[in-house]
Amino acid sequence: MTKSSPTFILNYCIFLIAVGITGCSEKSAEETRPPLKAESHSPASLEEATPKPVVVTEKTRETYQWYCAQCHGIQGKGDGINARFLTVPPRNHTKAKYLETRTDEQFFEAIKFGGLSVGRAPCMPAWGNTLSDSTIHELVLYIRELCQCEAL
Amino acid sequence: MKSFLYLLMGGWLLCSPMLSHASLIQEKKCSECHRLSKDGNEKSGPDLFYAGNKFQASWLKQYLQNPAIIRSARGTGDPDFLKGIQVNSQKHPALSKKDAGQITQELMAITLLNLPEEVDRLEPLTKGQKAKTKYQFERTFSCISCHQSLNLAGKVRGGISGPSLVNAGNRLQARWIANWLKSPNTFSNKSRMPVYKMDDEARLQLTQFIMTLKNENKR
Repeated sequence: MTKSSPTFILNYCIFLIAVGITGCSEKSAEETRPPLKAESHSPASLEEATPKPVVVTEKTRETYQWYCAQCHGIQGKGDGINARFLTVPPRNHTKAKYLETRTDEQFFEAIKFGGLSVGRAPCMPAWGNTLSDSTIHELVLYIRELCQCEAL
Repeated sequence: MKSFLYLLMGGWLLCSPMLSHASLIQEKKCSECHRLSKDGNEKSGPDLFYAGNKFQASWLKQYLQNPAIIRSARGTGDPDFLKGIQVNSQKHPALSKKDAGQITQELMAITLLNLPEEVDRLEPLTKGQKAKTKYQFERTFSCISCHQSLNLAGKVRGGISGPSLVNAGNRLQARWIANWLKSPNTFSNKSRMPVYKMDDEARLQLTQFIMTLKNENKR
């Protein structure tokens, strides 16, 4: 009896660690999936765009007004002229509560590949053929400016 | 003296087709609200420098006599676009039957050359293709977010920042839709619509689907 109890404890520890590892890996895989997916779509362009310092310029704001404001509104409050006709309301970019739970990569992917690509509403089209990766990175930063929030 | 005569002749030859075609368009001052060439800034009304490629003559003639609202959020070139001030009454002047006929003729003569003819050999969509394309219109390409269309019950659905497609099947030429989807830059330097890179089959089926949208199917 006294001999088997350390082995039992050891076995139990191994079991706990194993469960812990799989539990974590599942979780971390879920968290990192969107950026991985973005990379797999266009590895070269993403790598090229990331090292450059991204800043919000007047042109970024103009781009937002030109394309995004149709649904997200002139001030980004989710109240654009299309908003009340959509089955899912456009995101309010001035509210941090939801946006701070999303990563920049998730923003990038939603803009580039559309809402469905990140499991959100299909109302949001893909802008990857319209906007360059660097412009999309700027828009991500601009949304962070609008919501006054960072990814948690 | 002889060279002067040649110059005069040349000038007359150059101008005469323009004059005879553009006369009523000029007289009615269409160019105050519409661009008749790709040059210059976008105006409050839709571009007409490819009107002959875009519209169906029968629709144009009817519209000019009895204009209906196509962009209830105003044209993208209107300073009040995006401000949420919806158009309640049609601002386009109504013309007499005779004038509408002549302007239609003049507009149908304004075309861009060398548009690919690919659409003419298309066959109607099967029931399955129509269901698939409707799904793509709403979910894959998100067209419905900015364009009004008809749902299965014949009710108008969709956003208003783009032109309504509820009567697109009577208003537009299939060939123009297919060309617009393939290369919008041919017609506009910078549209507010996303650029799509869909394969030819999807593009032509989407074109066919848009052509099925007609006022008479509205309930």
